[in-house]
Amino acid sequence: MSGGALRLAGLTRVHGTGSAPALDGFDLEVPAGSCVAILGPSGSGKSTVLRLTAGLDEPTAGSVHLDGVDLAGVLPERRGMAMVFQRPLLFPHLSVRDNVAFADRVRGVPRRTARRRAEEFLELVQLGGYGGRPARALSGGQEQRVALARALAAEPRVLLLDEPFSALDARLREEMHELLADLRMRLDPTILLVTHDHAEADTLADRVAVLDGGRLLQAGPMRALYARPASLTVSRLLGGRTEVAGVVRDGRHESPLGSLDLPAPVPDGPAVLVVRHEAVQVTTAADPAADAVGSAVRVRPRGLRALVTVEVTGDGGTTTVDAELGPGHDVAAGGTVGLRLPAGDRWVVPVDDAADDPVADGARA
Amino acid sequence: MTAVRAVRAASRTGRTLLALWLVLPLVPLLLWAFADRWTFPAVLPQEWGTRGAEEALAAGAGGAFLTSTLLGAVVALLATPLGAMAGRALASRQVPAGTAVLAVLLSPLALPPFAVALGLDVLLLRLGVPAVGGVVVLLVVAALPYTTLTMRAAYAAHDRGFEDEARVLGATRWQTVRSVQLPLVAPALAGAAFLAFLVGWSDYIVTVLVGGGRLTTLPLLVASAASATGSDAQVAILSLTSILPPVALLLVVGSLGRRRR
Repeated sequence: MSGGALRLAGLTRVHGTGSAPALDGFDLEVPAGSCVAILGPSGSGKSTVLRLTAGLDEPTAGSVHLDGVDLAGVLPERRGMAMVFQRPLLFPHLSVRDNVAFADRVRGVPRRTARRRAEEFLELVQLGGYGGRPARALSGGQEQRVALARALAAEPRVLLLDEPFSALDARLREEMHELLADLRMRLDPTILLVTHDHAEADTLADRVAVLDGGRLLQAGPMRALYARPASLTVSRLLGGRTEVAGVVRDGRHESPLGSLDLPAPVPDGPAVLVVRHEAVQVTTAADPAADAVGSAVRVRPRGLRALVTVEVTGDGGTTTVDAELGPGHDVAAGGTVGLRLPAGDRWVVPVDDAADDPVADGARA
Repeated sequence: MTAVRAVRAASRTGRTLLALWLVLPLVPLLLWAFADRWTFPAVLPQEWGTRGAEEALAAGAGGAFLTSTLLGAVVALLATPLGAMAGRALASRQVPAGTAVLAVLLSPLALPPFAVALGLDVLLLRLGVPAVGGVVVLLVVAALPYTTLTMRAAYAAHDRGFEDEARVLGATRWQTVRSVQLPLVAPALAGAAFLAFLVGWSDYIVTVLVGGGRLTTLPLLVASAASATGSDAQVAILSLTSILPPVALLLVVGSLGRRRR
């Protein structure tokens, strides 16, 4: 099985006349064999993208192209796709094996052949020997594995995953991530994944499209999005914690943190400095290389690391910066620390995030 | 401990009383059915025999049984799919003024059947609808509230995601209905069909008024035998004959529903 190339162009969906569109002019390229994630909060329209792609709903405007062919008017069963939802939706009246054999059976493959192939796909998701069980006799993680096997057995050109692992606990979710990575290596499917978890998107996808309020905010490789979010909304959806309001003058950002060099030329005016907490280094207050000095107001342990919130008072007010400490490194709450903000990790985004067209607004860099 | 035991005992007593309440009326029926002679002061029949059964057969119980079965089956066959479609539409909330539509569908329950049957009889005669056809149409309408309500509840609990999944996996609309939707609502369908069957099986008023003597069903036979000064044994046999098939069906439907849980 190898996947096809999917292209979504100007996809728009309005549920009822007069209501705001659930999806507004959404463009996305999913190259053959790649995994693209659509990241957004609930209600952002990300599931709508999948339903329109699968043909379960009709777009109000825009088109879905698979290998260059416009799928307008093509029924869901003829689109060569398969979908895994957040709920496993295993057919309760069928055995595990017959669930996986479903796609073959409705296409007229003889029962014996379909069942043999189903067993192969069950092996692939490490559930060999479970075929004879009733679908309702599985645990949550097993159910979702069977759902994945069932979708793969349909040999889809594009595999659509709608928050497939969100209902699983952390350990099972990690197992499923590994399984999916393994399946990608073996089968090379094209995957369009929907998730609200930026860490999941980072783990699974080659590229990410950030969606909010039915609009595409930014698309690109996850690393690029982490380092250079286009707006405050994107930064927040990606788990960014530090936002320092200030003004850009002559290529420097001036704020309570002081005047900081920016890695790229930025037009003058008000702008918010964002820095990933993973990039900020915590040193001593006496460190001559420290960009700012402040007091640690909150320390939250995260495994061997800790997340510390540092309050910095400077020209024009007080601000906070979040930093992740290295393993074993500890800071006492209330203590005074120095902060290094590596120049390459500084980034500024526009202040007015509620702008009508965040895509056009873009990053000022 | 004693409290638990008391609750259990009370529950057992309650269930026993309930069972008695349901079974007790059948006891005299059973006794009468096989009593060739049972006069007043005697507690039990003085003579046992099968005269009741012979008389019932002679009165046409066999044919009436077949007619009733057929009538119930036809009503179930028509009212169940109609009710399923109405129930699905109502459950999906896509019907404008759904509550009003539901009220119309339920109206046969509220209207006095005698008045409706009498009024519609005239209409059906004017329209030239054959008597048997008229009976079937009216009984289907009378059965619709039961099938619609049953199926509406089933479809309200039904997850359409299953159908979306089936479609994306390559099933056509019809394959999805046949291999996913119907199996999932099968227990409810069986229940709805059972209720519709009962409407046809047990009807008296519509069969008498609209059927105009063309259909001799078991209820008609029971009524005529009971109102005549015939043998009580015959009435008892006929009554038992009309009770047993629904009970047997109920057991089948019940076991079907339980298997799916």
